[in-house]
Amino acid sequence: MTLAVVIVICLVALAAVAFLVLARRRPDDGVTSFRRHIDALSPEARREVIERVQNARESGKGK
Amino acid sequence: MARDLAIDLGTANTLVYMKGRGIVLNEPSVIALNRQTGEVLATGREAWQMIGRTPGYIVAVRPLRGGAITDFEITERMIRLLLQRVGVSRFTRPKVVICVPSAITEVERRAVTDAARRAGAADAQLIEQPMAAAIGADLPIDEPVGNMVIDVGGGTSETAVISLGGVVALEAVRVGSFDIDAAIQNYVRREHGIAIGERTAEEIKVAIGSADPTFDENEAEVRGRDLMSGLPKTVLLNPEEIRFAIDDVVSSIVASVVRCLAKAPPELAQDFLVRGMYLVGGGGLLRGLAQRIERETKVPVRMSPMPLEAVVLGAGHCIEHYDALKGMFMGARR
Repeated sequence: MTLAVVIVICLVALAAVAFLVLARRRPDDGVTSFRRHIDALSPEARREVIERVQNARESGKGK
Repeated sequence: MARDLAIDLGTANTLVYMKGRGIVLNEPSVIALNRQTGEVLATGREAWQMIGRTPGYIVAVRPLRGGAITDFEITERMIRLLLQRVGVSRFTRPKVVICVPSAITEVERRAVTDAARRAGAADAQLIEQPMAAAIGADLPIDEPVGNMVIDVGGGTSETAVISLGGVVALEAVRVGSFDIDAAIQNYVRREHGIAIGERTAEEIKVAIGSADPTFDENEAEVRGRDLMSGLPKTVLLNPEEIRFAIDDVVSSIVASVVRCLAKAPPELAQDFLVRGMYLVGGGGLLRGLAQRIERETKVPVRMSPMPLEAVVLGAGHCIEHYDALKGMFMGARR
């Protein structure tokens, strides 16, 4: 009987902790992923891809 | 381990970008088949050279029209051969990002992803062409400012307003540079009584075609088959009559740009007057098109530095930053 009560209390505590963690993470995750999305679109992030193709194009012209 | 790929599956050309390597393939979207056995005889440039010049048992076709797959089986075979050429095998299954027109239907969307998966891709994601074009044209789309991109392709023309990494307004028409070629073919047939092929029509467009009068205008000699006698015949065409011939197509592209401008929120619309609009895609190379759009919209139009590669460059950037940018893929909207 005591064991069952302990298990139920533990499960409730775990559920409460999980809920709090998820509730706290959700808005923060949105900000982080949006930031990551925007940063990945910055001119600095794109520079490498554009320069790679520009260089290949120029070396192709030179041949 | 397979390197992930970005594919610009265009009506006219197919470009493939390989992660960490750059553009590894740039070929016409054409496949030549044996009509009797169904065997593939050539793809890409080799097949393009066969258009309109094949014996009865060979057919050289473009499996995409208006940016959509018209023949699923042939497209799948073409994609499989293209992937094989860049080193994809049954043991190396890369992630693939494919650029498609924004106006694509759900059925067409599934047809493209299924074709890529069956051709050897482990995962196939789609990205809207104007979004990819804006990334590839190096526009500051990470900022809260209005960026406008006009992508004139072989079968579709799309205009989009982009701000803060997302599409704000979009307008697409299933009209592109192939429709310009077809308009030239029809005009020459109707007014001069000669039949010309689609490659000749394209050559005329490149040589003397324009959307607005330009300062260097020359006439061009065109050879075709006389419809009355059936004999070869030469006629002289001038830029004025080609402008007249293609005016309906050009007007419909310009009208879609105007509609997109009208859809843009006022805060972003004022940015266009300062920053201008960017023209990408092979169709954007038509002489006088930028000038014509500028004249009709009163907004400056600039040509992207790499108009033919902009779309695949944008998709290539998405494959390089796959996790950060996967929210941009179609069906993964925030």
